[in-house]
Amino acid sequence: MEKNVLEWLEINSENENIVYKDEFKTISFKEVYELSRRIGSALKTVKDNSPIAIISSRNISTIYAYLGIVYSGHAYAPIDGDLPRKRIELIIEMLQPSAIVCDCVNFNLAKELSDNVYLIDDLVRYEIDEQFLVSVRKKMVMTDPLYIIFTSGSTGRPKGVITSHQSLMCYINSYIEVMDIDRTDVLGNQSPLDYIAAIRDIYIPLNTGCSTVIIPKELFMQPDRLFEYMNDKEVTAVGWSVSALSVPVSLGAFKDIELKHLKKICFSGSVMPIEVLRLWQDHLPNAVFVNQYGPTEATASCTYYIVDHKVTQGEQLLIGTPYNNYKVFLLNEDLSETNVGEIGEICISGPILALGYYNDKERTDSSFILNPNVSSYSERMYRTGDFGRINENGLLEFHGRMDRQIKHMGHRVELDEIEYAANTIEGLYECVALYDKNKEVIHLFYSGDVDKRTIAIALRESLPGFMIPRKIRKIDSIPKLANGKMDMNRLKEEL
Amino acid sequence: MRQKVLEILSDIRPDIDFETATGLVTNKELASFDIISIVGELGDEFDIDISPKELVAENFDSLEAIVCLVERLINE
Repeated sequence: MEKNVLEWLEINSENENIVYKDEFKTISFKEVYELSRRIGSALKTVKDNSPIAIISSRNISTIYAYLGIVYSGHAYAPIDGDLPRKRIELIIEMLQPSAIVCDCVNFNLAKELSDNVYLIDDLVRYEIDEQFLVSVRKKMVMTDPLYIIFTSGSTGRPKGVITSHQSLMCYINSYIEVMDIDRTDVLGNQSPLDYIAAIRDIYIPLNTGCSTVIIPKELFMQPDRLFEYMNDKEVTAVGWSVSALSVPVSLGAFKDIELKHLKKICFSGSVMPIEVLRLWQDHLPNAVFVNQYGPTEATASCTYYIVDHKVTQGEQLLIGTPYNNYKVFLLNEDLSETNVGEIGEICISGPILALGYYNDKERTDSSFILNPNVSSYSERMYRTGDFGRINENGLLEFHGRMDRQIKHMGHRVELDEIEYAANTIEGLYECVALYDKNKEVIHLFYSGDVDKRTIAIALRESLPGFMIPRKIRKIDSIPKLANGKMDMNRLKEEL
Repeated sequence: MRQKVLEILSDIRPDIDFETATGLVTNKELASFDIISIVGELGDEFDIDISPKELVAENFDSLEAIVCLVERLINE
């Protein structure tokens, strides 16, 4: 039985085919095997078991550094060096990492955050210590943490979701089965490498022997060049956020160029606009389209729906059936089981559940609970906060969120977290963040003695770019309801 | 016209000083959703259609580049 994701790499230890490609470099399985084992050996000097943070950039060295950290017996916590300084500081503070691994670009930043900093380019020069690597693996079990990925948290503190080797392998195996990925495929990576969606692009090649091309970020705003690049690299399969498919469409993609090789498309992250999907289907009539749904807490996903027909206007796209090894069910507000055909909260259990939020017992205990409907033994489950309904064909429908969490450009955003950050700005009295779903714009209404430029700059110091409201409007005072709470509905009319 | 373009840009990204900034796309200063907003607002304001062919970094890397693009499309 598979116990550790590194076994997938080891099957390919002699494979000289390309596994990862970025704008400037390519690397083979064999080279990744070599370099990651060097990195793992070098990190034996890190005695503390805590995770190792890695601050790096969008290129292939980031990937073999992740695997190198795993070889050393540590979990890795990926951090994109482009994130705002304050957010990186907050993550490091919550993580208390045993060390920071970084690339040259982020070396100075890492040095300021920790005394124990290792440069990837130095680590790869270290000699492989076979004995050490073997001893690490002997001690490891499949439920050991593999990585910790941070997502938006409503109190202004991001949440570090811990995923085990077992969970990751369950998900990747099921995904490969659904998408029918084999060694001839070329995956086109869109997701930032520190983000949950990137796990597919990182680990599927190790399992199947296919390869991944990291697509330069700036191409996503240049649709013709994006498609030319994908044709040139012969990309056959993508697992993209909905917005990565909708942005090129709203910029006029397909007018001049067709995609020649793409045939497997999985999208996730938010509700897919039917118009967008229809256009993609028109231009890629032989491609398979899969709608995936699920949270980071259940290893990126939980259900999928293979779109088996040409979609039509007004249709609600299903989220379908659970992946293999995922148990998905609906509960009422009082956690009793819903009756057939009723709407309930989507809950998940199984080996794909995250181990919890790192260093955050309180939030772990409130989201990961014991299933009250299983009384003879303990079954952990996760409450997604999403509403769903199982239709007459046994397929799951999506019915929105219970709270103020939104999905914006494929990212999960807590509107509370934006307000929390804005409320720390000097001169701002009150604010409300709202989301205009149709235009995909986050708005911020505020009152106070500060101009919007100052607010935009201040927010950029603590929040990632996708969380910054693109419409900031000053109003005399925030409208209130009789009970003193902010009148969100009146503000919504202003959008 | 330059002033109007500047207003549109500054409204979407008040944190960027467009008078001096260069490499807006090349250096990833602008995100893809900024470009969508910019393309939409420029289209409405100047009644132009910015086709995907024009959506290349060179046309959006600076205020001057964007102004040139808009002028060219108005005259087409």
